[in-house]
Amino acid sequence: MFKEKIKYAFYTIAHPMDGFYEIRHRGRGSVPLALVFVLLFGVCFSANRQYAGFVVNFVNPMSINSFAEILSVAVLFLLFCVGNWSITCLMNGEGRLKDIVTVTGYAMLPMILTFIPSIIFSRFVVADEEAFYYILMGLGIVWFVLLVLVGIMTVHNYTLGKTLLTMFLTFVAMLIIIFLAMLLYSLISQVVSFFVSIYNELMLRV
Amino acid sequence: MNKKITAIIKGASVIACALVLCVTDLGSLRVQAGQNVPYETYTYDYYEDIKYTPAAYVPDGAVTGNQMGCGSFLSPQDLNTDKEGNVYIADTGNNRIVVADPSLKLVRVIDSFQNQGVEDHFSSPNGVYSSSNGNLYIADTGNFRVVELDARDNLVQIIQNPKSDVLEEGYVFSPLKVAVDYADRIYVIAQNQFEGIMAFDEVGQFIGFTGTINVQITPWEIFWRRFSTREQRARQQLFIPTEFTGMEIDDDGFVYATNVDAEGEQSVRRLNPSGEDVIQQGLVPLSGDLTWRLTGTYSGASRIVDVVVRGKGIYSILDSARGRIFTYDHEGNLLYIFGGLGSQEGTFTTPTAIDTIGEEILVLDANKNLVDKFKPTNYGSLINQAVGLRYDGDETQAVECWQEVLKLDSNFELAYVGIGKSLLAAGQNREAMDCFKIGNNKQYYSIAYKRYRNEILKDNLSFILTAVIVIVVLILVWKKGGKKLILEKIRERRMNHV
Repeated sequence: MFKEKIKYAFYTIAHPMDGFYEIRHRGRGSVPLALVFVLLFGVCFSANRQYAGFVVNFVNPMSINSFAEILSVAVLFLLFCVGNWSITCLMNGEGRLKDIVTVTGYAMLPMILTFIPSIIFSRFVVADEEAFYYILMGLGIVWFVLLVLVGIMTVHNYTLGKTLLTMFLTFVAMLIIIFLAMLLYSLISQVVSFFVSIYNELMLRV
Repeated sequence: MNKKITAIIKGASVIACALVLCVTDLGSLRVQAGQNVPYETYTYDYYEDIKYTPAAYVPDGAVTGNQMGCGSFLSPQDLNTDKEGNVYIADTGNNRIVVADPSLKLVRVIDSFQNQGVEDHFSSPNGVYSSSNGNLYIADTGNFRVVELDARDNLVQIIQNPKSDVLEEGYVFSPLKVAVDYADRIYVIAQNQFEGIMAFDEVGQFIGFTGTINVQITPWEIFWRRFSTREQRARQQLFIPTEFTGMEIDDDGFVYATNVDAEGEQSVRRLNPSGEDVIQQGLVPLSGDLTWRLTGTYSGASRIVDVVVRGKGIYSILDSARGRIFTYDHEGNLLYIFGGLGSQEGTFTTPTAIDTIGEEILVLDANKNLVDKFKPTNYGSLINQAVGLRYDGDETQAVECWQEVLKLDSNFELAYVGIGKSLLAAGQNREAMDCFKIGNNKQYYSIAYKRYRNEILKDNLSFILTAVIVIVVLILVWKKGGKKLILEKIRERRMNHV
């Protein structure tokens, strides 16, 4: 069963129109598998920062933190899904949150597939050949963007123009969510510090 | 089971503790030079992180005017040394020039000269320069002129009130700094002269400007100006080029000039005879510190006020904002940074000028009214030596110095690159790769790696070709019925099992 799903994910990245349609309407996608892809991409992203060859790697080794990098990929993924879901709900999108998660997760598969070979390849390149590394990485990223676009378009039954519009609005929604989260955090921390100071006052004075 | 879990937790906590210790230890990691130096010596690594190094220069006493025996200085603005190491100090507040020998003993005080039979005096001289022909040039700011005296203090010429089409009507020439090249061309930095450095020929005729700094307006500023009204625009700050602050001529007759750059992008220029900037920039901007606080004390980019050319392509610039001296090589690599503001000996309050006698560095402090001396440590002179040898093309000798440097400071990237280059020349590509990697030089790493890769390929050519042929044959066999044969065999075995 699971093997079937994995096979279908590969079919989807090659035939996104049909693939995502069947994911939406015939239940051929899998949310756990999509989450596995997200995790794998997080690992690839972090591995690229740490293990890419010296010639193409400009990352300060002191700044590498695999956990934070995987987490940031996961958080961005979550933000995008929630942001897109909240926008498309209002704009007659047919997709469910489940579909959005599946689409975004599956769309990351090409990046996993190109990052790993390009990381390995980058360890054998010299100055003039680094272009191949960037082309390979760029290929994965372009493929990802196209898959997300086509996927969102298909599961919500949108036109291309409307998809681009919702993408922009999704970006805005993500910013709003971040803003609200920070606001909430600062308010809660103030409330907490208020009660902490009451507690301290009571303990020390009374 | 429970035991196992507790063991795992214990192990994890030990590792966590060790990690925490590592992190806290890194913060306090600092190499002491063994001397009590009132400032930190550091440099920036490839990632623009500060790396503390052993002291490159240590304070070697300070000399006031009183100690020299000429009465204390008053707000001295410029200091210059000649080839023999004699020191000339423009004692601006006392309207005189003080001349001292290389050990900073007083030689004479110049406070007057004979001008057409009449005794003439200076008025707040801001700059002094001793040219290679032995003559002394004084930027006599208060009298709006440049005075040239010969070795016996006789007047040679006076440059004042330059006339030219490019100078506006009623232009007041008040020179601040002066420098003279081997052809006796005179370069003058004048107050409120934003066009660049003023150049005069040997008889004092104005030739033109050199090294004009172009105004750079960012798109953001253009955007804002478009949206502001005429009144607002009038009240905004003018976009005028920065003024030059200090000058020095190198052995090739090129002018090193410093300017204040609030953006911290470029504060020192090397001007060729036609006035173009030909300085070599490395990875770091030639503008002192790479990072700084935005507000509060010691904030803002470094204010570079003077430069000293130290031979073999090495030059040092003086920052008055934080009292630091930055030393670069001819490729624009930062070698070492030292100095600081303060009241201890060896720190400054208002550093205004810098120069050298041999390897020793002199800094003039206009507020403390004294000359600070600095002498190189073993570490500092090893770096100077290695850079000098490399500049002369003697890379093999430089390697010995670099190895000594690394014994004192294993973080010094330039040393690894230096050693790597000699290994590369010797054909030890694998070792060279390691050096370039630690030294963070991608360009030379690439060269070393390319050679190493070719070496490996050449050595294993027969093996690689054989492997390719074997693989091709196997694929062909597999495609031409081999697949069927093997699958059949597997099926048979399965049947047998059943």
